[in-house]
Amino acid sequence: METVAFELSLQEKLNILADAAKYDVACTSSGSSRRGRKGHLGNTVSAGICHSFASDGRCISLLKILFTNECIFDCKYCLNRSSNDQPRATFTPEEICTLVTEFYRRNYIEGLFLSSGIVKSPTYTMEQMYQAIYLLRTKYRFNGYIHVKAIPGAPEELITQMGYLADRMSVNLELPTTEGLAKLAPHKKPENLVRPLRHIQDHITRHRLAIGKDPQMERSNGNRYLPHTIFKENPYQRLSAAKMPLLSSAASLPSADPSVPFVPAGQSTQMIIGATGENDLQLLSTTQKLYQMYDLKRVFFSAYVPLNEDAALPALGTAPPLLREHRLYQADWLLRYYGFHAEELLSPDKPNFNILLDPKCDWALRHLEYFPMEINKASYADLLRVPGIGTKSASRIVKSRRGSLLDFPHLKKIGVVLKRAKYFITCNGKMMHRIPIEEDFITQQLICTDSKKNWEIDHPQTYRQLSLFDDFHFQAETTIEDTQKTIWGQL
Amino acid sequence: MTTIFTCKDQFDDMMTCVYEAWASRLGHANVRLKTEPVGNLELFCEYRHVDADSKKTASVIRSIQKKISPLAYSMIYKAAMSDQEDKLDAIYRFVIAGFYYGASVTNYLQESVVMRIFELNRKVSNEAHYHKEFLRFANLEHQVLVSHIEPKANVLTLVAPHFADRLPSENWMIIDDTRSLAIVHPADSKYYLTSLTQKEMDRLSRKTNDPFTELWKGFFQNIGIKERRNPKCQRNMLPLWYRKHMPEFH
Repeated sequence: METVAFELSLQEKLNILADAAKYDVACTSSGSSRRGRKGHLGNTVSAGICHSFASDGRCISLLKILFTNECIFDCKYCLNRSSNDQPRATFTPEEICTLVTEFYRRNYIEGLFLSSGIVKSPTYTMEQMYQAIYLLRTKYRFNGYIHVKAIPGAPEELITQMGYLADRMSVNLELPTTEGLAKLAPHKKPENLVRPLRHIQDHITRHRLAIGKDPQMERSNGNRYLPHTIFKENPYQRLSAAKMPLLSSAASLPSADPSVPFVPAGQSTQMIIGATGENDLQLLSTTQKLYQMYDLKRVFFSAYVPLNEDAALPALGTAPPLLREHRLYQADWLLRYYGFHAEELLSPDKPNFNILLDPKCDWALRHLEYFPMEINKASYADLLRVPGIGTKSASRIVKSRRGSLLDFPHLKKIGVVLKRAKYFITCNGKMMHRIPIEEDFITQQLICTDSKKNWEIDHPQTYRQLSLFDDFHFQAETTIEDTQKTIWGQL
Repeated sequence: MTTIFTCKDQFDDMMTCVYEAWASRLGHANVRLKTEPVGNLELFCEYRHVDADSKKTASVIRSIQKKISPLAYSMIYKAAMSDQEDKLDAIYRFVIAGFYYGASVTNYLQESVVMRIFELNRKVSNEAHYHKEFLRFANLEHQVLVSHIEPKANVLTLVAPHFADRLPSENWMIIDDTRSLAIVHPADSKYYLTSLTQKEMDRLSRKTNDPFTELWKGFFQNIGIKERRNPKCQRNMLPLWYRKHMPEFH
């Protein structure tokens, strides 16, 4: 690789390294709640705060940058792979600290998201990143949110040390299957990717037990009322506070100072959608397994944007599968907040999501035996199964119906989406209209309501309002074939 | 005949107004409450102006917290910061319902008076949250951070605690341009609310050259993925009127 002869300005470095980092999805600043301290800069808010929205509509919460975009790896899908001719840049730890603290003071960002290409070796890269984060936390007294990528292959001590400084750590699995990984990222070994996940999880568990918390990460509050969530019915669960009352005493565990939290916002990962041939079932079951085995807080999906030309990849110019990504996120929410399991949403005979219907509507239509549901009697867990009722409206229904019976106008005000829910509910024994509970009829009605929205998700830019005054050039130019056709009398 | 109690658009005045309307013993159906300016006067109505009285205000606040709940008080406070005309009357009706039902009143969204307070509270809280996200500080000389906002609701007192916790050792102020109010926070001490004169406003609105603003704009340009461009989604998440004071959009 050519070394850059001239010195880049800070602006140029920032532009290059932000541009290189933009394909990482995770930009959330949630999961960690920490008060501010005098003499320090910043706090963290458990729900997270978005500070801006980029031109693609994605939230900008953290200063998302790479430490360097120089990389010794040659992953086929990646913009920064070593065989690409790209402008390369590297920050110094001091530069990162200045950017973070000055941006933070101006309320531009909620913290730092630091990832990196692999320079020289994973160990060297991780050391450099550690230096930056250590300076930021100590010399610059930064108390805000920090999300760091754990570099697979870096020594475990280094990852542990990083964990005591960061709020969230993540390792990108990129592809849900071993075959996909071998095909597209030959330098990455699946064992190497999973090892830091397990290592960080062990330390989180240890710290949580030391401070007397349940070994499992906290989940949404509403999950308490759901008997069958993926977190409660977990075949991979290793420890639970109920089973091991003795272990929860701090003395039995060789742990560092328990007052210093270890990765309090948990771990996350990301998978690429549409670069290889996985189906939605594989993706969603992997997601569920990751939540259960490694207790991840989030799994992110990234619709593949073709950047490199390669026989193993979709051609350049292929539109990113945005609707598919959207469906997966919808299903991910159903797993984490609604008590659904992956097996309920998809099955081997129907391994992909319906393009026309969201996963919950699709599930409801296949299970009409549960419906119509009586709003004034159904449990919270049952209410969540109704399309058009979310966690907020379900809890509002449960609370308010203690006062008096609810009717459809109340539901509308409470926030229930009646255009979807009306096919599945009754209020005081009556449905909103005379609606037959028939799969075909309801499917048709629901598809009509949603078709325009679904189309727009996949075509964010092509939508255009017709106007009398615009010339749309509807008439195509005549081609050679057209002329031939007129000669032969076909046109 | 209806009697309409009016008061200044400030929280203390509003609470006294609630007290007076209640104590007038005219009957709840015969009174209405409104904040000033009153606008068009109605026929067959008597208007009574009420001035703030700290004792009466304190007693109303105390009974709301005790007889209803602290949550109800926080909802009322936020609703009172709204820019909607019917807010004071809505608060009065909610207090009546609250004294009847007790703490559980906040759950009974099927009651229209509760729903109205719930809506006002949600609207103001959402706007306050947006300003926590989108307000921007500019770095003036002597490391003083100044932010200008033009909120619809009076959100200054709602966003201030967030920034006081976040930037405890910085000198900063947040200025509400429409109401000429400001939260001032000197480093390492408590913040206070104050009103600003036109001269002070002019002095604080001067543009400064800040190298980090340019850096931020560069970052903002580069972080978006072209293949996923989606201005409609962007507008949904970040409505245009918030962008007036955000450097990355200018």
